[in-house]
Amino acid sequence: MKKKVSFSRSIMYLLLIFLAFVYLLPIWSAITTSTKSTEQVALTTPVTPVFPPHFEAYRIAFSELKRPIINSLAFTVFATIFSTVLGSLAGFALAKLIRSTTSKKLLVLITFGVFIPYQAILIPLVRIISSLGLYNTIPGLILTHTAYGIPITTLLFTNYYYEIPDELVEAAKVDGANPLKIYTSVVLPISKPAFVVTAIYQFVNIWNDYLFGVVLTRGEEAMPATVKLANLKGSFVANWNIQMAGALIVALPTLFIMIALGKYLIRGYTTGALKE
Amino acid sequence: MASVRLEGVWKIFGNFEAVKNLNLKIKDGEFMVLLGPSGCGKTTTLRMIAGLEEPTRGRIYIGDRLVADPEGGVFVPPKDRDVAMVFQSYALYPHMSVYDNIAFPLKIRKVPKQEIDQRVREVAELLGLTDLLKRKPRELSGGQRQRVALGRAIIRRPQVFLMDEPLSNLDAKLRVKMRAELKKLQRQLGVTTIYVTHDQVEAMTMGDRIAVINAGVLQQVGSPDEVYNKPANVFVAGFIGSPPMNFFNVTITEDGFVDFGEFKLKLLPDQFELLRDVGLIDKDVLLGIRPEDIYEATSTQVKTQENVIHAKVDIVENLGGEKIVHLRTGGVSFVGKFPAESFVKENQEVDVIFDIKKIHIFDKTTQRAIF
Repeated sequence: MKKKVSFSRSIMYLLLIFLAFVYLLPIWSAITTSTKSTEQVALTTPVTPVFPPHFEAYRIAFSELKRPIINSLAFTVFATIFSTVLGSLAGFALAKLIRSTTSKKLLVLITFGVFIPYQAILIPLVRIISSLGLYNTIPGLILTHTAYGIPITTLLFTNYYYEIPDELVEAAKVDGANPLKIYTSVVLPISKPAFVVTAIYQFVNIWNDYLFGVVLTRGEEAMPATVKLANLKGSFVANWNIQMAGALIVALPTLFIMIALGKYLIRGYTTGALKE
Repeated sequence: MASVRLEGVWKIFGNFEAVKNLNLKIKDGEFMVLLGPSGCGKTTTLRMIAGLEEPTRGRIYIGDRLVADPEGGVFVPPKDRDVAMVFQSYALYPHMSVYDNIAFPLKIRKVPKQEIDQRVREVAELLGLTDLLKRKPRELSGGQRQRVALGRAIIRRPQVFLMDEPLSNLDAKLRVKMRAELKKLQRQLGVTTIYVTHDQVEAMTMGDRIAVINAGVLQQVGSPDEVYNKPANVFVAGFIGSPPMNFFNVTITEDGFVDFGEFKLKLLPDQFELLRDVGLIDKDVLLGIRPEDIYEATSTQVKTQENVIHAKVDIVENLGGEKIVHLRTGGVSFVGKFPAESFVKENQEVDVIFDIKKIHIFDKTTQRAIF
């Protein structure tokens, strides 16, 4: 049996292949450049691969980025946990403990919080963090990212909790549970999809942040990987191979998270909570 | 166990009056059904008793304890009211096993583990859930979920059971079975039960008493026989009974007849007197008669009896055990319920008798029943 491929369909595939090619080109270029020696970078085009590949650039990049990656992991993990847990608690309160007319009004305000541009709050942010004695510290970054993340995590959780039938919470109320007990024994156990989605979103966002990192840190002791990565480019020479190797190393954690938890991400976005 | 008392209870959402001045007393151990069409306020009433809604005005007592009185600033939260509720959707905790679902109310109250285990097993035994204790709700059929929801309610041995259309998600056959089981269970446990439904058959078969509610207003409270045979007004008369009661616009004449326009029926003397006492002679009134009170006349009855009407058969609905017959005389249509043995056929002419003893007369302006 031969399947007939229509003309319009083949055009569509050609277009998609072309688009995929365009999207993947920079990554391809990063991979080829990172496996070149400094001379090869100068002598070949960015997309030409070399054989045999050199891994010297990776060694140098990794030794430079080791400390910043540990910094990044530290504040990203904690800020992700804090902002997700607080978002979940706030979402539960908004969706299930107060009237939905009131919570919808509050959600509009919270949505504004999601859209506050980083640039607009930099000066007050630096002053607050400095006055708290948290400038150039990991806790300073954790506090900043947690606070900045709460609106979006609250929004995600509130919408998820709206989907949970009110009757479930009411049943627990009549069964004798107080709000905290309802949260811990009824709502929390069925929140896994929302936790996964929100945590991934927060992890990727916080990990990839550059601006907060650059204004809130000075030396190596708290500098995030993204900031160090930008600093790999020297003032006079740009070692493209080292920079590309560094970029790929810094991209690894988010890539790993996406591969490991991506299936939950799709499920979390699509499942309507508890249709039974 | 306890009685439940509602005194002048109102519930207003925005500018929608869901419950208007409800006064109702449910006796200790009684099975009270709140019956009415959807949106009539019956579920809101139940939720106010549970403590899931606060009344806008009025007082609610469970036993001798005042649990809600907005004017007096009293509101006891649901967890302290000692009531158990069965929801329409069952609201089982999806992540917990059947065992944990049933045990939940006791765990919350920190009952010792051993006692919890013993009571869960007792309840499971009573409801036939023993083999299902390890399953999750999603692995159960509708009827089994229903029983788990009941189990979660009865394990507490609460003062009052509140049930919000608990059978409406079951298929017809299972519903009939659960109806009987639920009634039996309530008798066995003797717990005061308030049961909300829009299904008049459930109300008639299960309730010790029925409270008929429409548009937030209590229409009538009484035993199933009372609301069926002595409906207080047009709404109750039309809502209870299937097929519903026939209604006719008629006038009562000076000489003791009911004038249908197409035909006349002779009233009984005491009926006529009653109507004369309330001053409805020569007035337009509403006459109601149930389909089963319209009989097919035998040939002797046609000759000897009054109140025989010659009608044409429009449609015959054969239900096997009985026949629902749609009849017409001139411009007046009505429905009769005939025995299965009846030979009536569509488009046939037939003589029928209106059982004059069983008719109801309603005042058109007040909608209230005269008899």
